[in-house]
Amino acid sequence: MEAGYGLTTFSPSGKLPQLTSAMTATNEGKTSLGIKAKNGVVLCTDKKLSSKLIESADVHKLEKITPSCGFVYSGVGPDYRVLVKKARKQAQAYYLTYRGLKPIRALVQDTAAVCQEYTQSGGVRPFGVSLLVAGFDDEGPQLFQVDPSGAFFGWQASAIGKNSKNAKSFLEKRYNEDVELDDAIHTALLTMREGFEGEMNEHNIELGVIGEDRVFKVLTPAEVKDYLDESN
Amino acid sequence: MAALDLDVATLKPVETGGFDFGMTARNEQIAAAAGGRPMPQPMSTGTTICGMVYDGGIVLGADTRATAGSEVADKNCEKIHYLAPNIYCCGAGTAADTEKTTELIASQLELLRLSTGTQSRVVAAVTLLKRMLFKYQGHIGAALVLGGVDCTGPGLYQIYPHGSTSKLPYVTMGSGSLAAMSVFETEYKDGMDEAGAVALVKNAIRAGIFNDLGSGSNVDVTIIRAGGASEVIRGYETPNDTAPLRAAYARPKALIPPAAATAVLSTVVSVSDADAMEL
Amino acid sequence: MSILQHNGAAIVCMAGKNCVAIASDTRFGLSQQTVSCDFQKVFKQSDRLFVGLAGLATDVQTLRNTLKFKREPALALYELREERVMKPEAFAALLSHMLYEKRFGPYFVEPVVAGLKDDGSPFLCGMDLIGAPVYTDDYVVSGTCTPNLNGMCESMWRPDMGPDELFETISQCLLASVDRDALSGWGATVHVLTPQGVTSKQLKGRMD
Repeated sequence: MEAGYGLTTFSPSGKLPQLTSAMTATNEGKTSLGIKAKNGVVLCTDKKLSSKLIESADVHKLEKITPSCGFVYSGVGPDYRVLVKKARKQAQAYYLTYRGLKPIRALVQDTAAVCQEYTQSGGVRPFGVSLLVAGFDDEGPQLFQVDPSGAFFGWQASAIGKNSKNAKSFLEKRYNEDVELDDAIHTALLTMREGFEGEMNEHNIELGVIGEDRVFKVLTPAEVKDYLDESN
Repeated sequence: MAALDLDVATLKPVETGGFDFGMTARNEQIAAAAGGRPMPQPMSTGTTICGMVYDGGIVLGADTRATAGSEVADKNCEKIHYLAPNIYCCGAGTAADTEKTTELIASQLELLRLSTGTQSRVVAAVTLLKRMLFKYQGHIGAALVLGGVDCTGPGLYQIYPHGSTSKLPYVTMGSGSLAAMSVFETEYKDGMDEAGAVALVKNAIRAGIFNDLGSGSNVDVTIIRAGGASEVIRGYETPNDTAPLRAAYARPKALIPPAAATAVLSTVVSVSDADAMEL
Repeated sequence: MSILQHNGAAIVCMAGKNCVAIASDTRFGLSQQTVSCDFQKVFKQSDRLFVGLAGLATDVQTLRNTLKFKREPALALYELREERVMKPEAFAALLSHMLYEKRFGPYFVEPVVAGLKDDGSPFLCGMDLIGAPVYTDDYVVSGTCTPNLNGMCESMWRPDMGPDELFETISQCLLASVDRDALSGWGATVHVLTPQGVTSKQLKGRMD
């Protein structure tokens, strides 16, 4: 590809190679998936580390944005932190203006707008992450995906990152919209196990859930272990 | 504090300020044209607020009267503001300033908690507040009593509108501060238990309610216990509740206008719910 | 006379059972001189939300236009993007935020907000000129005769009034109050909001 200072320019065939590359970066990332249940949403991510010397407790892939919304990503970790920080600040600005929690759709739209901005601005590159956004507001439980292009979609269940194609076809077979949150957590672990290299344990899996109490919670390793044991 | 005041370039914590001075010049012209006549004043919380340290944490207390000049603008306003789950702050002075300043700092503390994953520290809250107030050189009229419990134990601070602070075992602020302080000076002892502390705070606020004209109505109490669990008690005591008196006698007929008592010149009805046409 | 008293106004909101009312006088004056008697001070934001603006008339209209036409970016954002009508709680917070932004150069306006919440129960909120909110569950007043209005409401308001009772009560409170205020009166408008719709009435009052 030609080097250029105006980034994210169209190729003669009408493609945006920068975005295709960003999606590749995303698809190279560790798998993350989300399932919307009748009464909540679960996010699950592969937190496998490159060395066993790394403190796994210090690695957080699931992040709380507002009390009732959480993010997870596949792709470039440092890029993710920028989006998290912006989303949190936007949510606080919203709260200061309206004295209410920012609706999930608005959070997703604003985050997607940031992604889009980075595909058309000079001197920047697109974000190398896809996000899954889980939340619960007046519209009920919600699950969204945001891509580097700024595209976003609502899902009943979805997967991003490495192996996401297989995970998605697994979810398509398994998904049932009347599923309870607890069952959805098990389905999430089951899906994650498909194509998981090595053994899943509480140190290389992160789970985040939000139920009807509208409180997004990242499960502790002990809680993750309980779910893993149950589904074994 | 612009509506969406986002510094996306630097990603610094939500900066204070962002005030719009666009009409200041016009308002100065109006003030000049008015000569010596008074300009509109914002609502103030004349206020008695106080707090004390006891052996299990912090107790904060406040009255619930807001005044506009000598008129009571709000009989039951809330002066104990949330800053963090383990930190609360009583506000005296300009009502909007205490309200908005504490909201802003609460927001900054939440962002800090999200990024550090730890409980907010009381000194952090005090520092954010005093820096902001100092920056505005006293023009933000917030006089605060801030209390909280964190990993270093209980902390109770007094914050003046110019940004000076002191850490003390018992504190009073507002127009009723002298009345309340007289109670503390008489009865405060180190290491009191929770019941004793709540009773003392209640008596201090009562002294303000009954002796200071800027304070009135009810006693609000917030207890922040060691460990960081807080209990907010709105209307801990309501010594000026008029409801029982009102209920005790029949309302005079003259106060209940009969149907069609008011002469109407014209009526327009707009129906918003088509299913419910019976209007 | 303070600049807030220059044009004259009397506005009152009152809560009933699953209904809420907002009433204002209609005088527009320049100090002691009456210029007009059909000046609008209460504005419809939606079928379930009205705002009353008392104070300096130029600021009343500027703020009203900001809310309605120019659309505060945040407000436009809210309604277009969230695909829903703003809740009264959120509107009051937004208005308070807009006023506080001008903390050091305020509009000389003291607003009141009357609305119905999602469950149909009343929402009332008053504000000073820099946005300090006063939330009440009975009544809230604003304008040049707030002592009169407070006194009338204090005696006449009672809990759980139906829409018709509420109309009579708020009307009598307003008419009696403006009779003792030289700066307000010259006609009155009352809106009663219920989940079914809005009834707006022009009242006959003293024209002196």
